[in-house]
Amino acid sequence: MLYSYLKIAFRNLGKYKGFSAINILGLAVGMASAILIFLWISHEISYDRFHEKKDRIYEAWNKGSFNGKLSCWNTTPKILAKALQSDIPEIETTTRVNWTDSYLTKFGEKTIMMKASVVDSTFLQVFSFPVLKGDSASALMNPTGTVITLSTAQKLFGNENPIGKILELNEQYQLTVTAVVQDPPNNSRFQFECLVPWSFLRSQGGDDDYWGNNSTRTYALLKPGTNAETANAKLVEFRKKYDRDDPKGGFFLYPIERWRLYSNFTEGVEEGGMIEYIRIFSIVGAIILLIACINFMNLSTAKSEKRAKEVGIRKVIGAMRHNLMGQFLGESILIAFLAGLLAIVLVQLTLPSFNTFTGKIVRLDYTNAWAWTLWFGFILLTGLIAGSYPAFFLSGFQPTKVLKGAFKKTQAAINPRKVLVVLQFTFAIVLIICTLVINKQINHARNRNNGYNKDQLVYYFMTGTTEKNYTLIKNELLSSGTAVSVTKTSAPLTEGWSNTWGINWKGKQENDRTLFDRFCADQQFVTTAGLELVKGRDFDLETHPSDSTAILLNESAVAAMGFKDPIGQTLQDNGRDWTVVGVIKDFILHSPFAKTQPMFIQGAKGWFNVIHFRLNAANSVSENLKKAASIFKKFNPSYPFDYTFVDEAYGAKFEEEKKMGSLAALFAGLTIFISCMGLFGLATYMAATRFKEIGIRKVLGASVASITTLLSKDFLTLVLLSFLIASPLAWLLMNQWLESYAYKTAIDGWIFLVTGVVSMLIAVLTTSIQAIKAALSNPVKSLKSE
Amino acid sequence: MIKLEHISKWVNQGNNRIFLLKDININIGEGEFISIMGPSGSGKSTLLNVIGMLDSADEGSYFFNDQPVHTLKEKQRSLLYKQHIGFVFQAYHLIDELTVYENIETPLLYQDTKSADRKAMVGDMLDRFNIVGKKDLFPANLSGGQQQLVGIARALIAKPKLILADEPTGNLNSKQGEEIMEIFTQLNKEEGVTIIQVTHSEKNAAYGNRIINLLDGRIEHNR
Repeated sequence: MLYSYLKIAFRNLGKYKGFSAINILGLAVGMASAILIFLWISHEISYDRFHEKKDRIYEAWNKGSFNGKLSCWNTTPKILAKALQSDIPEIETTTRVNWTDSYLTKFGEKTIMMKASVVDSTFLQVFSFPVLKGDSASALMNPTGTVITLSTAQKLFGNENPIGKILELNEQYQLTVTAVVQDPPNNSRFQFECLVPWSFLRSQGGDDDYWGNNSTRTYALLKPGTNAETANAKLVEFRKKYDRDDPKGGFFLYPIERWRLYSNFTEGVEEGGMIEYIRIFSIVGAIILLIACINFMNLSTAKSEKRAKEVGIRKVIGAMRHNLMGQFLGESILIAFLAGLLAIVLVQLTLPSFNTFTGKIVRLDYTNAWAWTLWFGFILLTGLIAGSYPAFFLSGFQPTKVLKGAFKKTQAAINPRKVLVVLQFTFAIVLIICTLVINKQINHARNRNNGYNKDQLVYYFMTGTTEKNYTLIKNELLSSGTAVSVTKTSAPLTEGWSNTWGINWKGKQENDRTLFDRFCADQQFVTTAGLELVKGRDFDLETHPSDSTAILLNESAVAAMGFKDPIGQTLQDNGRDWTVVGVIKDFILHSPFAKTQPMFIQGAKGWFNVIHFRLNAANSVSENLKKAASIFKKFNPSYPFDYTFVDEAYGAKFEEEKKMGSLAALFAGLTIFISCMGLFGLATYMAATRFKEIGIRKVLGASVASITTLLSKDFLTLVLLSFLIASPLAWLLMNQWLESYAYKTAIDGWIFLVTGVVSMLIAVLTTSIQAIKAALSNPVKSLKSE
Repeated sequence: MIKLEHISKWVNQGNNRIFLLKDININIGEGEFISIMGPSGSGKSTLLNVIGMLDSADEGSYFFNDQPVHTLKEKQRSLLYKQHIGFVFQAYHLIDELTVYENIETPLLYQDTKSADRKAMVGDMLDRFNIVGKKDLFPANLSGGQQQLVGIARALIAKPKLILADEPTGNLNSKQGEEIMEIFTQLNKEEGVTIIQVTHSEKNAAYGNRIINLLDGRIEHNR
């Protein structure tokens, strides 16, 4: 019996090849998208779940109020760990993780750049990074010891035993390899190639006990059986003890498991984060899947009406209702199964580009029983739902009626198939509108004046001996005609690395906690960056040697400080007096979607990490870069010439939005594609069922055009209805999305107009092919069939 | 074998009740070969469907082998006709996606016959109607007469006591029609299968031993 069902199912697939292809492909594409989204989500929620003690590990967070807002952030004073350990009894141990830096690493002839994290000796006891060689307990005790990852060990030593080997870091420090750990998995916040003990940092004078320097991350392992809430309650007193003036500020412990998905705080209250994207994508995935299922159901039921005769015959020759139900359900499950197989193939094929796009390393785990169960469950469910209409509806027919040909579909105003088509197109149109709005917002921010000239501007991190040789490098860059101007700064122009509320000026209110971006530049800053000077002048050490303690303000800072005449005012920061020599227009330091912040730029007495130089437009870019490379090589021989174009760095600020935009476009495309397949299938079906009607109309003198219109009209009405439902929905959605941006575009009417016209066009194109084909057919054929 | 008493069937159109069958009383014994005749719309097919239990009457009693069919539930009725009745149609009604062999085999599948038995039974049928060479063809590749042979073979495979044929020769030329009628006669005479056929043709009706004439849902003549 089962064999017989399978046989007829396959023969039916073969008989209606186009129809089956549409059906299977549509469902497969939907399933493949859902699987990809599922992989992405499961990777996101797996972040740092592999630590054995994950339930007890907390990250210390800081909070404080600035500009009247309560903010939370996860960098803390270095001294916090020690204080926590001595004051909070619930804490078993703490471990700190400092910024990850790249180090020039040498072993014999081999030189590599190695990403190193400075961590406390307890790091490997708190977090689970399996130690392959060496002893995890003592590996990070010795100030000259270091732990490297397996892949780094292989890069440096090949198959030799790495333990005891001595590495030279940045041509200054000698560290002995004490242990080898497995490479950190892709789904961890910790990405390092090497761990350097905190005691090393301390021996180099990089440690400090200053409560005002929030620069490191502190993790606490709670004792088993204790809870974070009691510890957090104790942290209120703790704060008072260690001198903080902000009544709302302080520290709190935040579970590491929530860091990846939540950890967005508004007014000190946890409010979403990555989880919002996960929700959005779950919904989108579900919708695409739903649309594909709807399609599948629509097409299956459309086809099953063709098979009413078969149902009649089978009933007459002895089939019971359950036999027929089994047959139809079995068939649709088989099709779903084929689609499921195709979906896996599609996922496997698209996975590499998906990984590039998302920056993840996810793969299909064929050994995961749970995933297979889910996959089979899904196929079964889709098959059951899609097969349920023919199974329950058709199998209930009176055979005499079907066989006499009395079986006619009712042309009701609302039938389920129409509802399903409207639903599909509503989703598709919403997604199209979202895509257009997102792209419009990106372009809007792109066209925003960033406040400086990005062209031909290059920056280089001052690695190795760059800082020592800065003057020489600068002079050679200028004299060789490679650059037209050079300045060193504290951070790249596209990144804010430091901010403070601790700056003082004349007339500052006592409770003023305005947060200023802190930036440093030695000289020719305005010229090099191409900023717009509003008042005063640029830093110029040659004519004004006192400019080493000069300061520039942006207009927002002038407004925040309330200066009528800012030039000549004195500001106090870090125990030094700075004299305002100029005022610049605000430029975009952070997000091009956000408002610009008050900012000051300190002179040559500040701290420096980066060289910015503007290339000489008289030469070609490649020529300039070649010369610059040789200059940097000359004065910083050990390090590669790693430079960045500021316009590229600025462009990277749009990455997230661009990804959102491409994703929305991708999903819109998929939805349209699947919906159109469904529409095409339905149009085919409709043309077939109205074959006779068309014949009669033609005999009575109808033109091809009038018949095409007649057949397409129905579908157009449905698409129009979808458009009317989708437009306000999309507007609400996008309005809410734009709310999160300070600098936002308007949702224009043309977006809706374009979407409406485009979706209509797509629908017309999809259906009219079938309609025209039907209209052109010879009426003799259709009329003789009875 | 079959006893119809005061069978009526109607549809309501507005306030009017239109009778498809009105007060039909028939007795049919085992081994009879009956022809039902009458003009289009006289209720021939409806009567056949009622007898075949594919349709039920609105009024009256129907006894099949002394079982009161009119009181049975649909499921019981279909169990009953599955066992005893084979159907032959004017339009053959073969399943297009199945081969000749599979079409004939299908009723056995629904009766859970064992695989080996099925093979033997279908083989017998193919032999008997001389269509062994056609067993792997699909219906679309057969002539109308051949298709109807397959239809009859399928109706006979489950060894029914009663064959109901709704204009079995209606789509066939006269030679093919004669062949079919010969087969029916043979079945009736040699195997004692009861046959009820609906027909337009006096010539085919003559093959039977009794003719029932219908007009507007009533029995006009019961010869």
